[in-house]
Amino acid sequence: MAKTPAKKTIAAKNVSKPVATETHETPLAVTGSQTFRKTRAQPEGIPLIEMKEISIAFGGIKAVDHASINLFPGEVVGLLGHNGAGKSTLIKVLSGAYKRDAGSIHVEGKEVTINNPRDAKAQGIETIYQTLALADNVDAAANLYLGRELKTKMGTLDDVAMEAECRKVMHRLNPNFRRFKEPVMKLSGGQRQSVAIARAIHFNARILIMDEPTAALGPQETAQVGELIKQLKAEGIGIFLISHDLHDVFDLADRLVVMKNGKVVGTASTKDVDHDEVLGMIIAGKCPSGAIPGPGAMRN
Amino acid sequence: MKKTIIAMMAAGLALGAASMPVMAAGKTIAVSWKTFQEERWKTDAAAIKAVVEAAGDKYIDSDAQGSAQKQAADIEGLIAQKPDVIMVVAFDSDAILPSIQKISDAGIKSIAYDVQFEDPNALYITFDNVGVGRIMAKEVLKVKPEGNYAFIKGDKGDPNATFLFQGQMEVLKAALDGGKIKNVCETFTDGWKPDNAQKNMEQCLTSTGNKVDAVLSENDGMASGVVAALTAQGMAGIPVSGQDGDLAAINRVALGTQTVSVWKNSVELGKTAAAAAIALADGTAMDKIAGVAKFNGGKKKVEMNSILLAPTPITIANVGDAIAAGHITKDQACAGVKAGTVDACK
Amino acid sequence: MTNTTGSSQGPALEQEGPIKKFFRATEIDTRILGMIVALVLVWCIFDIWSGIIRPNEGLFGGSFLTPRNLWTLLVQTSSIAVMSTGMVLLIVLRQIDLSVGSMLSLVAVATGVLQVYQLAPALGVGHPAIWILGVLMCLGVGTLIGAFNGFLTAYAKIPAFIVTLGGLIAYSGVAFLLAKGETVAPMDQNFGVFGGGIERSWLGPFWSWLIAIIACAAIIYAIVNGRRQRQRFGFPLRPVWAEVFLATVGSIVMLGTTLVMNSYAWPPKLIENFAKANSIVIPAGIENKDGKAICMAADSIVRCTEGFILYTGYSLPALIAIGVCLVMTFVATRTSFGRYVYATGGNPEAAELAGINTKWLTVKVFALMGFLVGVSSIISSARLNAATNALGQTNELYVIAATVIGGTSLAGGVGTIYGAMIGALMMQSIISGMSLLNLAAAYQNMVVGGVLVLAVYLDQLYRRNVK
Repeated sequence: MAKTPAKKTIAAKNVSKPVATETHETPLAVTGSQTFRKTRAQPEGIPLIEMKEISIAFGGIKAVDHASINLFPGEVVGLLGHNGAGKSTLIKVLSGAYKRDAGSIHVEGKEVTINNPRDAKAQGIETIYQTLALADNVDAAANLYLGRELKTKMGTLDDVAMEAECRKVMHRLNPNFRRFKEPVMKLSGGQRQSVAIARAIHFNARILIMDEPTAALGPQETAQVGELIKQLKAEGIGIFLISHDLHDVFDLADRLVVMKNGKVVGTASTKDVDHDEVLGMIIAGKCPSGAIPGPGAMRN
Repeated sequence: MKKTIIAMMAAGLALGAASMPVMAAGKTIAVSWKTFQEERWKTDAAAIKAVVEAAGDKYIDSDAQGSAQKQAADIEGLIAQKPDVIMVVAFDSDAILPSIQKISDAGIKSIAYDVQFEDPNALYITFDNVGVGRIMAKEVLKVKPEGNYAFIKGDKGDPNATFLFQGQMEVLKAALDGGKIKNVCETFTDGWKPDNAQKNMEQCLTSTGNKVDAVLSENDGMASGVVAALTAQGMAGIPVSGQDGDLAAINRVALGTQTVSVWKNSVELGKTAAAAAIALADGTAMDKIAGVAKFNGGKKKVEMNSILLAPTPITIANVGDAIAAGHITKDQACAGVKAGTVDACK
Repeated sequence: MTNTTGSSQGPALEQEGPIKKFFRATEIDTRILGMIVALVLVWCIFDIWSGIIRPNEGLFGGSFLTPRNLWTLLVQTSSIAVMSTGMVLLIVLRQIDLSVGSMLSLVAVATGVLQVYQLAPALGVGHPAIWILGVLMCLGVGTLIGAFNGFLTAYAKIPAFIVTLGGLIAYSGVAFLLAKGETVAPMDQNFGVFGGGIERSWLGPFWSWLIAIIACAAIIYAIVNGRRQRQRFGFPLRPVWAEVFLATVGSIVMLGTTLVMNSYAWPPKLIENFAKANSIVIPAGIENKDGKAICMAADSIVRCTEGFILYTGYSLPALIAIGVCLVMTFVATRTSFGRYVYATGGNPEAAELAGINTKWLTVKVFALMGFLVGVSSIISSARLNAATNALGQTNELYVIAATVIGGTSLAGGVGTIYGAMIGALMMQSIISGMSLLNLAAAYQNMVVGGVLVLAVYLDQLYRRNVK
């Protein structure tokens, strides 16, 4: 894997620069309850996002089953699990792509209604989908502003202004990018990814959902995404990071949540568990001592 | 001739009564319709029913809903009710023949109504279709004995389009050969559609530089397109033919923008057929019924007894008759007609 | 195209030939240019061919490239062209409407019945409310039926193909019942203005030139304004020569079309009627049977070369079609509605995730299609001066063909309004041209069908080469 060396560099940086979670350390509380307690894995204060007891079924199959997760400002929470574990579905409930069957969503302690992507965006929740969800036949600026176009005084599209803004944000993410006039289908994988990321961060998101953000990227671009996540964290943005890749999560996340068969197996600070323990959570649903077990944890 | 037919259609029931001096009540006349999807068949049905019931006979019918199979079953059902005569509007003139054989085998008389099937035992009653083309040409030729003629024919796939053209040519042949009239445009019109006819006429006028003196359009719908094309060139008023007795066409005849609409009055057809059916039911021999002649113009040239009704040309001279017959109201016929130009519109 | 973006611009500039440089600088769509060249070629062939059969005053001695035929061509194309602009958006959105032909008959018959059987007897023939209500009826009924199609497609989730196939069959049935199978005629005389068949629907040279001049000014303004906007943000600009070239070509096309429209004279008979009605003194002159003007010769009015003459200018239906093309181009490219249609066609899921209400969007586009069918039904029924259930039948085939010939991809996401207009013009040119040559409708159908398939094949070749 060509990715590995790049990851190492990020990891090294990570170690040299302590991240925010360490300040949140608190003593372990009693485990076993289904709701979150104040633990080492749980920062203090009102969570930015709290999803409580979310359930959603497709044709009788429970894709997500009473799952609860939360996210604090400036925090990166990694969501782990097999294909079909329910992590993408859970996150699509948050982004408004799916409508939940039961449960509630709270933003800064207040319950909110999220029935569609517009509702989510109104709450400052932005998503970078695994598929990127770009309209391939229009250009970068059109994708950046899709659904919230800039208008002239006459009410028509202000393409020039949108292109100007697009040039600014793309310059920050991908300084070599020049192909502003071409439909995004003609761009490379990395360039397309930049456009998707640009769209998520351009509108002052408070909560960012990243679904496999580095899947299509080479080592250099992956490193760029890592840097970007740290930058956004520092700005106080909360990030859900969905990934297959344990390295990614250990490098970038403060906490991790593991899901299996639609249920939460457990939640842990990345400091308190190691790779093998997390693999055990993912594969067997076994919750290690460093983690708070969820309803999906295997009973001993 | 023309006058006689108008008189007949105005007289209505009298026709049936007059031609049938002896009537025995209590007979049953059955009709197998091919479809009621088109408006006209309901008109026919009403006319037949009225005559049959006025004679004290019973009318029964069935609707094949545009299916040859259903029509075969329908006819078996009608035979089972033991009528005296079965009239058939065949959906498929070949596929119907076994059913007609069954009718004969059951000792019932059969009538081919409007659509021919070639069975020598049946009586064929229809309008003289080739005659329609002849009448169109005759009426136009009367107004414009020499000049450039344009021919806007119907759909290429419809044999009627060619029959009509043949009829026109029979009348025009001498004038064409003698050089008095000239065929300057001749086009088929996709689907008999008025808008296609309009485009064809526009192109005809463009290519001839408006040197057209008369137009033979094969029906009224297409005539509306032709007249629209002529109007745009300030040429409305030159002779234009049509057929069907469309209300709009009769109005154009009154306005002087169309010369003739040849009208096949289905009420008249229904009444004639009903009268013939009653006669057959009463035991009159087929060739003894009024108006019956031999006909062998079908595909297989089978000789049949037949009644061919002459269609009615509606021209500016007899618009009033169409109003009198109740086919069209005076307001409809005379809409937009300048006072004093047409007698019937006074 | 695979090299990194940073280096693709600089050195490539030096290498490209003058032709490539020209197209890149002017940003001309070479595909559309190819279609226009093909169209002009077809026109020339028809003119030459018709000239061989019957010499006339066309550019190459035939009947096709005469002001009269080109004028008629525009009128004949207008109805299909108007509908094809809506079909572009629908197909771009990955939908289709097979029911436009039947809808047209239904709407036309409805307005016909309203005008002829209801309003004319109630208000009196020629009352000004008749045409206004007639027009509103067409637009309203069209929009409603379109929205209904859209609702079934978007919310009941029935595929558009099925919904509108059902509509194709059902709406013609409704039209038949409404008209009882008869031709409803004549339409209101004021309503006839929209058909192009009467004097009042011709703009005349003055208004035609005025419109042309305004259009030229608009072209120049758009180019200058676009350049200023890009300057404001410091974006790369087109070379000045390219801007001047585009402005010049645009203006020449506009003025040229107007010149052609303005050199089609009224039919002499109508000039005569006009002169009589307005007591105009007709100058004396020498008779010339092929002349387009009228003169007095020996106390009678005759046709002559130099005398009293009137020119038609643009006809209202042609002007409506051009106007619809401009408005729809604006809608497609300058509004968020248009942007959403293209984005949704490109990736429906992405559009949904971006917060676009794609269902409501679908209803809106179908309703717009219905509205445009309403516009076309006004043109068609006014032009025929009658409404029948046969009017508009099979038009859906021509509308879809025009759209596809114009480069709209059935896969969705790709298509232009002006492409569809040229597609419609191409198709009608073939039909009219072959009709001029007295070739039967069967041959016309064969050629149009062949052109449709060929156009799509060439389009694919082109796209492959561009990539």
